[in-house]
Amino acid sequence: MQEFRDKRVIQALLAELEKKTRALPSSIRIMEVCGTHTMTVHRYGLKKLLENIGVEMISGPGCPVCITPNEIHEAAIELVTKKKNFILTTFGDMTRVPSRKGSLQTAVPASGSVVKIVYSPEESLEQARSNPEKNVVFFGVGFETTIPTIALTVREAFFEGLTNFSILSALWLIPPPLKAIVEAKEIAIDGFLYPGHVSTIIGEKPYQFIAEDYGIPGAIAGFEPSDMLLGLSSILDQIHQGKAMVSNEYSRVVRPTGNPKALAVMEEMLETKDAYWRGLGLIPLSGLKLKKKYSNYDAESKFNLNIKGGSGDLPGCRCGEVLQGVISPPQCSLFAKKCNPNSPYGPCMVSFEGACFVHYKYNRGLK
Amino acid sequence: MCLGIPAKVVKIEESNFGKVDYLGTKVKTNLSLIEDVKIGDWVIVHAGFAISKLNEEEAKETLFMLRELASQQATENKKNNVEARRNNQKQRI
Ligand code: SF4
Repeated sequence: MQEFRDKRVIQALLAELEKKTRALPSSIRIMEVCGTHTMTVHRYGLKKLLENIGVEMISGPGCPVCITPNEIHEAAIELVTKKKNFILTTFGDMTRVPSRKGSLQTAVPASGSVVKIVYSPEESLEQARSNPEKNVVFFGVGFETTIPTIALTVREAFFEGLTNFSILSALWLIPPPLKAIVEAKEIAIDGFLYPGHVSTIIGEKPYQFIAEDYGIPGAIAGFEPSDMLLGLSSILDQIHQGKAMVSNEYSRVVRPTGNPKALAVMEEMLETKDAYWRGLGLIPLSGLKLKKKYSNYDAESKFNLNIKGGSGDLPGCRCGEVLQGVISPPQCSLFAKKCNPNSPYGPCMVSFEGACFVHYKYNRGLK
Repeated sequence: MCLGIPAKVVKIEESNFGKVDYLGTKVKTNLSLIEDVKIGDWVIVHAGFAISKLNEEEAKETLFMLRELASQQATENKKNNVEARRNNQKQRI
């Protein structure tokens, strides 16, 4: 793996890219869809290096913690503060997201209730098995990378006949928001760097419409710096040749058709729904929920949570605009002042792959 | 969130579980989302599940290409340096 970070390799790739950009009439703008790519761009100092050779990188909506709208966080807080004997499990970052009702970390649980951080959805099942007298709700968030692991966990619970387990789902699909961003036309994008691990599951085909219907080039890339630069190099080649396609530059991990087993379990357990995204609003068929057959495992219907979409950011926070790529974090007046990683005011500062957090960590002081 | 860690499968149990070695630490991993997994395979692990098998052939190919590129670049740099020095000397003369 080290070799994918080798300095000489990175320099050689940058030199290659420069040759390709030199021949272009103007600089180009590429959206890195995934938050993990945003990390790589900043961590290895690629942001500035790329800017110098005429490639502007902008972050996309690929941070699930960030795009989950406040109302779902608030529903989770409601559950654990109002209901007794509940165990609410979730990934660590989710507990720190501030909403109008505070965060899961600051919330005071009802008697016998507790918030537990888990690393894998399966740990929540363990909780349900060993606490039969309590209701265990897994607040499950994720894109296609994580969704199969959650679907499989519910499937296990179903076949085991566990009745005290359910999920509060915040499950998001990556292709629909890309379409929304392109159609909104707020920013011109010359190419998309597609997320490597989402693609591991879904393969190449789901992005095809971006090339075919909108003529925008794209490449699936891994997360090492040289992986990303290879992806960019392919996008530049496409621009030069005046064509648009989905090239796979992460072939050591991504198969063209994705992961059939993971896709099958998603298909078996889940169906699409229209969903609200922070910053992007209502996007048709962009979310997933459990099929009717499994509604006993869906916390929203099991506990009659009435989640109303479209609540927007907390006043002053511009995370929504950051997620659309419309502003960069330092343009938010709270950035690095009222809002910082120790006391995040918005979700884009909470998550390790949130654009505000990444900006704060790697280029504070830079403009 | 979509962080995936490459790790080597060191144990496979009947119940779809196994252990992977990640930088020397053995971690329990659910292997049921991947097909035909064998001991010694490299996998990408995400949230306690192996989500993909690493294709070693493809990995080698990419690495080979990267190495080629780096050495080409090194030769080019050398050439440029020599030329620059020559130009410098010419100017001085
Ligand atoms: S810096 Fe904080 S307040 Fe401003 S947009 Fe980012 S998360 Fe929101």
